[in-house]
Amino acid sequence: MTFSLLHATDFADRLLYKVIPPLKAGMIVLADRYAYTAFARDVTRGVDRQWVRELYSFAVRPDLALYFRVPIDVSVDRLMARRVKLKFYEAGMDLGWSTNPLESFRLFQGKVLDEYDQIVPEFGMEVIDAKSSITEQQRLVRQVIAQHAQPQRMEITDDEPVV
Amino acid sequence: MTSPSSDAPDATPHGPNGDSPAGGYYGRGIPYLPIHGYPGKLIAIEGTDGVGRSTQIELLREWLEVKGYGVVETGWTRSRLMQPTIEIAKGSNTLNKLTFVLLYATDFADRLEKEIIPALKAGFVVLSDRYIFTALARAGVRGVDRQWLRNLYGFAIAPHMVFYLNIDVKTLITRVLESRGMDFWESGMDLKHGDDIYDSFRAYQNKLLREYSSMADEFQFRVVDARRPVNRIQDELRKQLSAFLEPAEKPADPVLTR
Repeated sequence: MTFSLLHATDFADRLLYKVIPPLKAGMIVLADRYAYTAFARDVTRGVDRQWVRELYSFAVRPDLALYFRVPIDVSVDRLMARRVKLKFYEAGMDLGWSTNPLESFRLFQGKVLDEYDQIVPEFGMEVIDAKSSITEQQRLVRQVIAQHAQPQRMEITDDEPVV
Repeated sequence: MTSPSSDAPDATPHGPNGDSPAGGYYGRGIPYLPIHGYPGKLIAIEGTDGVGRSTQIELLREWLEVKGYGVVETGWTRSRLMQPTIEIAKGSNTLNKLTFVLLYATDFADRLEKEIIPALKAGFVVLSDRYIFTALARAGVRGVDRQWLRNLYGFAIAPHMVFYLNIDVKTLITRVLESRGMDFWESGMDLKHGDDIYDSFRAYQNKLLREYSSMADEFQFRVVDARRPVNRIQDELRKQLSAFLEPAEKPADPVLTR
């Protein structure tokens, strides 16, 4: 519970200071992870599914939400290739499912991925196949975003009149 | 951000009003912490700042311990995890009503999991100096959505008894000024009603008291007139508390020896 609530506090702080002001100014906000991360991670930790959704009901619904789907093995291989040590909470070590960090990571993140499979259709997220090359993924991402964010002539209302 | 096609059977937590059993979770609870049939009792003492809660709790504790009960006290923002963070946050100028509410909720969750539930399971009487109602009142005054708040605190346990120490602002002001004086947060200075701490205190506490009394029925407060002398209030609390505790589970009487 405290894990979930601390993250929600941090999220609220960033939402109010970093997300809403630029949105009001007509800018595009790119969020690396959003409330969906909490839905997947907190529920895996045993928090009530509906409760955490209502907790985040103060969040702005994104115009577009992308989900980079990757099988657990690919995820583990990538992490192993560039990092020595798995983070304690990232591996779900707090849950005590395994004393081996890698094994724990596999179990925990595997369940997190299962949870995402439910979240994706529920919130209409766009799925990007993250097994493919970075170039290919980026091509897809740009394509999807281009469909959503048509550059429009922005109306700026709060400018000082030019004398 | 709830799902548009919510598949949850009962999205509205079966609220505090109605079928919530004392001692059980108010709403959706903590799924990984089942709490059926624990032997302890949870008693909340509520009331605004400076109403005399801690004095009453101190006296209750002594009385209960002499009677043979194990007593555990818990109080608002006293969690080991959150107290330093909350103090730092209050000192900075970055808190807003939402992060304020969430920090309090985190503190409460920590104490619930680490102090309150273990003590209840071990058969203690838990005396809570303030409970979620203080959070609901403070957030209510600051305009936070009521339904959202009630859902947020759906993981809280409904106390077996909630004593609400009721007072009017006039009496409260004299009492606070006689003791420790007015404090920035207790005067709601963050709401920026004006620079005068006296006016702000009066306006803010008035609103708070209205919030508390609006919750009295919903959460089955036992309203206690806190304008009376300390021992009169204490007598009333003890009378109600023993009526509740004694028939249920009185600890073994001390053996009377000749």
